[in-house]
Amino acid sequence: MSPSTRNQVFIKMLETLSRDYLQGKEEVLRLSAIALLSGGHILIEDLPGLGKTTVALTLAAITGLSFGRVQCTSDLLPSDITGLSVFNRDEGHFTFQPGPIFNNIVLLDEINRAMPRTQSAMLEAMEERRVTVEGVTHHLPGPFMVFATQNPSDQSGTFPLPESQLDRFLICTDIGYPPRVLERGIIAGGGIRERISEMTPLVTQDDIMTARRDVHSVYLSDKVLDYIHALIIATRSDELIQTGLSTRAGINLAQAARASAFLAGRDYVAPDDVKNSAAAVCAHRLVMRGGEMSASERGIVLRTIIDRIPLPLV
Amino acid sequence: MVSIRFIAAIMTYAIGLCGILPLFPWLTTVPRLVLAVGLLAGLWQDSRKSWPLKSWMQNSVIVPVFLYYAVQFSRANPIQPVVSLLAIMLAVRLAGEKTVRHSLQIHVLALFCLASSSLFDLSPMFLLYLGLMLFLVAIALILLAFQSHENTMLLSRAELRKVLLAGCLMPLLSLPLLLFFFPVLPRTQLPLWNFLSSPAVRTSGYSDKVEPGVQPSVGESRALAFRAEMARQQQQQLYWRGSVFNRMQENRWVRVEGIPSEQPVSGGDSINQLIYPEPSVSRVLIALDRPAEIRLIRLKRSPDGVFEYTGPLGRRLNYQARSVTSGTAPASGLLNRRFYLNLPEGIPPRITKLAGEIGRLGKNDLERLTLLETHFRNGNYRYSMSGLPTGERALEQFIFDGKQGHCEFFASAFAVLLRGAGVPCRLVGGYVGGDYNQLGGYYLVSEDMAHVWVEAFIEGRGWLRIDPSSFATNAGEVWNPEKSRSLMLRVRLTLDYLNYQWNRTVIVYDFEQQFEFVRRAGKRLHGIDPAGIISSWPYPVTIFLLGVLLYLIRNTTLFRRREERILRRFLRRIASEFGIDAGQGRLGLFEIAGLVGNERVGEFAAIYSGAVYRDRRLTDREYRRLQQILREGFVVKASVQ
Repeated sequence: MSPSTRNQVFIKMLETLSRDYLQGKEEVLRLSAIALLSGGHILIEDLPGLGKTTVALTLAAITGLSFGRVQCTSDLLPSDITGLSVFNRDEGHFTFQPGPIFNNIVLLDEINRAMPRTQSAMLEAMEERRVTVEGVTHHLPGPFMVFATQNPSDQSGTFPLPESQLDRFLICTDIGYPPRVLERGIIAGGGIRERISEMTPLVTQDDIMTARRDVHSVYLSDKVLDYIHALIIATRSDELIQTGLSTRAGINLAQAARASAFLAGRDYVAPDDVKNSAAAVCAHRLVMRGGEMSASERGIVLRTIIDRIPLPLV
Repeated sequence: MVSIRFIAAIMTYAIGLCGILPLFPWLTTVPRLVLAVGLLAGLWQDSRKSWPLKSWMQNSVIVPVFLYYAVQFSRANPIQPVVSLLAIMLAVRLAGEKTVRHSLQIHVLALFCLASSSLFDLSPMFLLYLGLMLFLVAIALILLAFQSHENTMLLSRAELRKVLLAGCLMPLLSLPLLLFFFPVLPRTQLPLWNFLSSPAVRTSGYSDKVEPGVQPSVGESRALAFRAEMARQQQQQLYWRGSVFNRMQENRWVRVEGIPSEQPVSGGDSINQLIYPEPSVSRVLIALDRPAEIRLIRLKRSPDGVFEYTGPLGRRLNYQARSVTSGTAPASGLLNRRFYLNLPEGIPPRITKLAGEIGRLGKNDLERLTLLETHFRNGNYRYSMSGLPTGERALEQFIFDGKQGHCEFFASAFAVLLRGAGVPCRLVGGYVGGDYNQLGGYYLVSEDMAHVWVEAFIEGRGWLRIDPSSFATNAGEVWNPEKSRSLMLRVRLTLDYLNYQWNRTVIVYDFEQQFEFVRRAGKRLHGIDPAGIISSWPYPVTIFLLGVLLYLIRNTTLFRRREERILRRFLRRIASEFGIDAGQGRLGLFEIAGLVGNERVGEFAAIYSGAVYRDRRLTDREYRRLQQILREGFVVKASVQ
């Protein structure tokens, strides 16, 4: 299979998911796939009951990847996530019991409820892709992706993620209410949790690893690079924004754009790829002037900046 | 971004080449070598962006070169030293740093070089180089204006395009002005070149009557009378015939109507002339004696061979004349002798007596003529413009006492005596002599050459031209053709040549001639032998340069590439078919394709982006496919599907 046809399995995967399981959630599925293909993590910020968890579950099920789930609370300890060594009386020594993070896809539900200590332990694992417990470093499995969710309206007893840690999520997005017709259908059909266990994987782990290499070799022209850079620079001088995008944001934007191009069946990045993933990749990293803004509000600010920068068409 | 210095330097080199290439084949070895070395040195220094050759070094090199060629210059070899000096000066300037000042000097020198190449050969390629230079200089001047403002200025591609466009437009816009200055303005009878020289209407010289004895002296006027374009003739034959005075009334000779008819017999060698008279109040048309034919519309010909123009006066005109210069005008048949023997009352007795004597001594008209001629030759008459007899008896005084006078006295006296002796005769007014202008191939005749002589009718031979003034004892001095070979005359002739060319090529040039000229030029262009072009090396060089230029046009970012062109067309098409304004990079191509949901738009986006965002040019096949998509349109095709 050539690189241009290897994206077909992912296209099929996304189609199946959005048709049979998660109607009206094409965008969040596409962004999830982008995160999966470029080796990043995704933060879904929305109200409860809109299918954040379901998205993570179905993605894990359809890719046949192992799935771990952590429900964050304020008394959650780092070892609850990473695992800990337990004394084995039969063998007479400590054995390491891996925590839920030792899975391919890890759902961190309501991440802003965890204590900063726990958050930073998780984020270290996300960044380094390894966990150090009691002096022993354990590597995390092959494709590793964190699916974090947080509830923006629920402010009491939460520890909002600091900017530096938000920066580690490749993508931050919301889900939004489904359209009227689809919502009615979903209500009529009931939840899909039961059907998830019956799903047959469409994508193998090998597919994902090959695709990641393909995404990495997608051609990024100087013109598009200039465009990305112009975008980052523009955020740094905007009057609504206190702190603009970091260099890491630029790296991530290029990664996401490559993955987006791959999903579109191209081996080169078009400015469109940058444009359609920029909001999801960048908005949550902006530090705004004059108080907090939700991710979607930042998205609006970012889109006005994007609209100001002409796409390199020649 | 492009440095303005860089572009200006390229332009300067191109202009330099435009001047060098047409001249190069005609140069001697040394200037050729210097040119080549200078050009290479300039290119080398410009590429290194350091100029070890300082301006003062160059200037000091030029001085000995100038002196050397100044010594070489001579009348026999006027062109080569000048051209060599020009070429070397250009080479030296090209070798140095291209400051604004030096660039301008290069432009001027290159223009001179190109102009001087026309001294050797005026081929159609000259026009090509000239046109090219016109455009290049216009663009370069704009660029230099920027450069002089800020030496390190950078221009973006859009700005550069604007500059280039303006530079190309300027020569084009000047075309109407050109049309005004060259074909239109000269047609307005304004004497443009002439404003320095003589007044348009003569005050002295040739006149419509011969009246000796009015003034004690006559001032000479060097004002131009006419020019005659013709082959060089013997000086003695240069009698320019104007009017004929056939009746003496009191003391003056006038022309009266009722001229008896003659039957002139044409024959003998004829000379063709093209005459350009200066505007005057006289209607008489001058031609070499004796004019057999003058070609001009509104012409009136009298039986005695006087041609008059009946059209409006004061206009510049020119005409063709054919003359027979034997000095005799054969006429057959009988002549109205009474008309040409008429004398007024009150001729002084002394004159009547002398005439009667001659009439008696001579057996026939020819002998009487010879007798009178002998009388004049032996009479110790002097030609003079001053100390002239005046008053009613001036003629008598001239013949018997003073014996000093100008042509009018000589001719009048001769004619009176001849008529008194019974020989039919008449006075002819015109000009004698003329300065031949080798440069232009024409005779220059001025008002001081106005002259009067006599024509006598001899039975069986016709009208004989007799110039009584030539019987004067000092005739040799007066008509010495060497008298005027002075430097002043040469200068005058050269200046007159310019004036003449102006009149000839600009003022009296009619449309027919212009058309003929254009037709001839076209013929010459048709007649270019392709083999000849290839064998002469400037042509391949030119073609090569044009090729390079074409390559640059197609491949540099200076000019719009085809990707840019086709994208423009695509966006226009999108705007017209789907009403989506995607200009100025507001929407990506795939975004547009997603918005309109049209397969063909998607195909266009994929092909186009596949080239552009892979950082390569569109292949010809892709380009053709894109053009096809655009030609067929998006919606139409979609509906077919």
